[in-house]
Amino acid sequence: MKILYQIAIIFGLCLLGEIMSALLSFPFPSAISAMILLSIALFSGILKIDHIKEKSDFLLSNMAFFFIPAGVKVIEHFDLIASFWWQFIVIAIASTIVVFLVTAATVTLLIKVEERGKRQ
Amino acid sequence: MKEAVFSSPFFGITISIVAYSIGVWINKKTKLAILNPLLISYLIIIPALIILEIPLEWYERGGDIINMFLSPATAVLAITIYRQREILRKHILSVLGGTIAGSITSLAVVYLMCRMFILPDEITASMLPKSITTPMAIAVSESIGGIEAVTVLAVIITGISGNILSPILIRIFKVKNEIAQGMAIGASSHAVGTSKAIELGEVQGALSSIALVMSGIVTVILSLILFI
Repeated sequence: MKILYQIAIIFGLCLLGEIMSALLSFPFPSAISAMILLSIALFSGILKIDHIKEKSDFLLSNMAFFFIPAGVKVIEHFDLIASFWWQFIVIAIASTIVVFLVTAATVTLLIKVEERGKRQ
Repeated sequence: MKEAVFSSPFFGITISIVAYSIGVWINKKTKLAILNPLLISYLIIIPALIILEIPLEWYERGGDIINMFLSPATAVLAITIYRQREILRKHILSVLGGTIAGSITSLAVVYLMCRMFILPDEITASMLPKSITTPMAIAVSESIGGIEAVTVLAVIITGISGNILSPILIRIFKVKNEIAQGMAIGASSHAVGTSKAIELGEVQGALSSIALVMSGIVTVILSLILFI
């Protein structure tokens, strides 16, 4: 029964997230609404991690798996991508590397700033 | 007979789990980052559907059920953030600064490269939100005139390349700080990268989750301001 309750809590939050996103006047992903609701529930103490531990560990540890069907859909768009597939891949990979390095450098620098602030 | 077997939702779910398990197994045996479980899953499923002439709709009867878990899987990232709330509080400046720098860089680099290669506008619009998590990227892509499946493809290539390259970039550029590692992974390669960050350690996993959520929000706001 325990795991059923956990599924109900998490799916219930996702449903609330969908309601919340539907009420907003601009496109806001319901998954993020649900995440915000779960954060509020955790930080306010309404929900304890123990209430949803097993189910969320299952979701977190298999995260990559859930992306499979979204990618398989690409079969439908081979024609569209065929004419510039290599530019597509170059942009996707190169920008990932640049974003990684800029973020890492910024955070490394800001942590030093934070530490200096603390010492003074 | 063929339809009875392959149009059942059990087919889509089973082939996905089998392909992913083979992917995980090969990845563990070879310890090669390029043999990513997600990538191997595609290399098994897509050719299988094409060779056996199975329509995508049949696969999707099961695929849609797996897809349904994307939203709960994104939502429970809140837990990893909650577990690391002390670090978040302590490093709020780094977290905010890193996310904003990462999001602006992503939009700028993608936009400039798409212009450089003279790609059509709809492809540029589809690629702009590529660094953020699938559900958010789709929302941005739709609102700025992109194509959903092209966005999904860009997001997945980004995620897999982040998942593969992050440990290598950490080594080459000597990114020693665990907070910087996590932030960089989450900002550059969303949830697929985050699954690698979780493997690197609890701190990296949490910061990567924080970065993926925050970058998502910042990118949504920036692209609504800049491209509409």
